[in-house]
Parts: sequence; structure tokens; C-alpha cells
Amino acid sequence: MLNNLGAKAIVPVAVTVTGFALVCCILLYAGIKADMTRDAVAHSLTLADTVVKSTRFAMLRADRETLGNIVDSVGRQQEVDHLRIFDKKGLISFSSNRVETGRFVDKDAGGCLGCHNTPTPRATLEQMQQARRIVGTRGGDILAVTAPIYNEPSCSNASCHVHPEGQKILGILDIGFDLAPLQASLASLRWRMAIFTLMLLILTGIGVAALLRRSVITPIQRLIDFTGREINDSLNDEGHGLHDEIGTVADNHHRLRRRLHAALAELAVLSAKSGVIKD
Amino acid sequence: MTTLRAQTETKIRQLEARSLRGLWAMALFLLVSSAVYYGLERLFPLSPEIRSFLGPAPPLNLISLALVIYSFSAIVLILSRMTMGHPPGSGFAHVGYLTGFYIFFHLARASVENLWAVLAAGATILVLSAYHQRTFCAEAISEERETLARLELRERFGGEKREGGPE
Repeated sequence: MLNNLGAKAIVPVAVTVTGFALVCCILLYAGIKADMTRDAVAHSLTLADTVVKSTRFAMLRADRETLGNIVDSVGRQQEVDHLRIFDKKGLISFSSNRVETGRFVDKDAGGCLGCHNTPTPRATLEQMQQARRIVGTRGGDILAVTAPIYNEPSCSNASCHVHPEGQKILGILDIGFDLAPLQASLASLRWRMAIFTLMLLILTGIGVAALLRRSVITPIQRLIDFTGREINDSLNDEGHGLHDEIGTVADNHHRLRRRLHAALAELAVLSAKSGVIKD
Repeated sequence: MTTLRAQTETKIRQLEARSLRGLWAMALFLLVSSAVYYGLERLFPLSPEIRSFLGPAPPLNLISLALVIYSFSAIVLILSRMTMGHPPGSGFAHVGYLTGFYIFFHLARASVENLWAVLAAGATILVLSAYHQRTFCAEAISEERETLARLELRERFGGEKREGGPE
């Protein structure tokens, strides 16, 4: 099956074009996915920071009711899976899921290990290290980010609600966002790229097959028919209608047949003559 | 004459074995890829000490760019060898290069999509290489068979000539 002219021309071209396009598409997709994930993390950290800043005044005044309302309102948004604020020991003070309030977070969980994997916990983390991927309460993939609530001069000097000056981190805000919209965009991108690669394969196959049929296979078939007619029947002076190199091959064959024909006729005349002489 | 016949037959057997080399390279690459997808971390766990000894991995974008350039060059090389009628190169060298890409992506903690890209690049290069190997060997085998047929004819007619020749 792979030994005919068509296969010999189509297989390497189709494999090359489709394979290379596929490699580029996959790498492009991986790059776009990494960029989109980085953007989502940056966006989530900005939102987490916004929540921290909007609760600052309530924290300074130790207004637990206002803080609880803010956490409830933000946590009720469709894209937000969870929102919790816990102190340095891991005791959850506020959570969008009321059941969690008053419990301790698991310090061995992925989000805590970023800072707590060394004997002395780290106070700062890089942007991507603040993010983690978890399975949410509703079963979907969740992008969770942790934003530390740092001690500020206004916190350590406040008259109502004092934290010691040496304490760097007062607490952590942990917020999780549903990754479904991002995953839907990536799935649509995947489909578009798959369709593009498939179309490229079909177009390459059809294009090469059409050109090959027009320029090579049909002229060769005509050459086979022409030479076959000349061998089986007699000399064909009607012409072959072939051009290019294949036309030259047909002309050469025709000339060769004419010479052979003439030589055979000459031989026939000679043998006839020798027969007459013998008689 | 018998020596020439034996030599041609040996050549045919060697070419037949050589035409399968591309398939062996593909099988080896599939084996390496399955090991990678099973989990390099599980097979060869790297401790933080070894990672710090090795130093930071190259950036992902740079490895991806290197993969694109490598795939492009390898495909062009195979196609030019096909066009010029040169003998095909060994597919096993490509398996080595592709394994190197798997290792680099693993060290850079790349996503699974990057591994798929190496698989696609490997499949393209090795299929082309195997196809080149197969067609090249098929043509060489057919030439050798023609030589064998000519030898057989010469032996037959030479023998007849000796038997029925003038005394």
C-alpha cells in the first residue's frame, strides 16, 4: 500500500506538516495556559489584597460584626469557593463557611507548607508560591491563594487593639476561586487547535494528492497506455498528448519503436530476397 | 558466482533487519514515554539536595523553543536525506535527544502539555525516520533481488551452454 507513487509523496508531507503543526500547537497551548494561570493567580492575589484592605478599618477597631459581614458578602459570590481569616496559630476567626469558625486549619495542608516547611516559618512568598490548586467543596478545581495580613505601625500603636511590634504577621486570609471559567476557556482553545490541526492534515493530504494526480499519476497512466498500445498493436502516429519529461519519454519510445519497425521490415525484405535466391 | 550469490543473500537479510530499526526506535521511545507518563518523580525521585546541586532548571519557554528548533531541524534533515537518496540515520539518536527533553521538562516542573509536545515531536520524527528506513531498504532489497535474478539467469544459461556447447 505504501509502495505506490501517491503514498510515497503524500505520507512524508502529511506526517511532516501535521506533526510539526501539532508540536507547535501543543507548545502554544502550554504557553497560553501558563500565562492564563499566572494572570488568574495575579488577579486572585489582587482580590485577596482588596479584601484585606477593605477589612483593615474593622480590624483596627476589632469590629467582629463588620468583619463577619464582609467575609460573608465576599464569600457568597458565585466564583468564590471559600474565604477564611485565621491567626498565626491557625485558628479560624472568620469564614464564609460558618461551621469552620473556631476550628484550626491543617498545617500539613498544601497552602500552609509554603511557609511552614522550614523550622522557622517564612514571612514572605513569591506570587506563584502563594497559590495552590485544590478540589473545592462543590467538587470542582479551585485556585486558592493566601495573603498574609502584616503588622503595621497603626496596628501595634493602636490604643484599642494592640499587637506586639515584633509580630510580623497578624493573620492569613485564604480565598479560593472556582477554576471552571478558566478551564472552559482552555477547553475551547484546545478544541479550536485540534480542529485547526485536523483541517491542516486534510488540506495537506488533498492538496498533495490533487497536484500529484494532475502532474504525475495521470501523465504516467497515459504513458503506460501509449506504450502498451504501441507494443500490442502497431505504430501510433496520432500523438500521445503528453508534455514535460514524461512527453520526452513517450517521444523516445515512439522513435525506438519506429526504428525497430523499420529494422523488422528491412529484415523481412532481406529474408524474402534470400528465399527467392535459394529457390 | 556462488560467493556473489551468498553475499547478495546476506545483504538482503541485513537490509531486511535494518528496515525494522525504525520500528525498534519507535518502540523504545514509546517505552520511555510511558515511563515518563507513569511519573518520573516516582521512578527517579529527586531530593531537594540533588535539585539544589543541579542548580535552577532552564526557563520553560527556552526548552520549548529548543524543542521547536530541534523538531524543525530533524524533520528537514530526514526530508533532505530522502530527497538526495542518502541512507537513513539511526532513529536511536533521536530517542536519546527526546529523552533529554523529557528530563529538562521534568527538572523545570513543566505541565503535562509540555510532555505531550515531546511525544508529538518524537512521533513525527520517528515515523518519518522509520518510513525513510523502510522505503530505502525496500528499494535496496529490490535491487539486490534483481542482482540475484541476473545471477540465476547467468548460471542457467551458462550451464546450458556448457552442456550443449560444441565439443
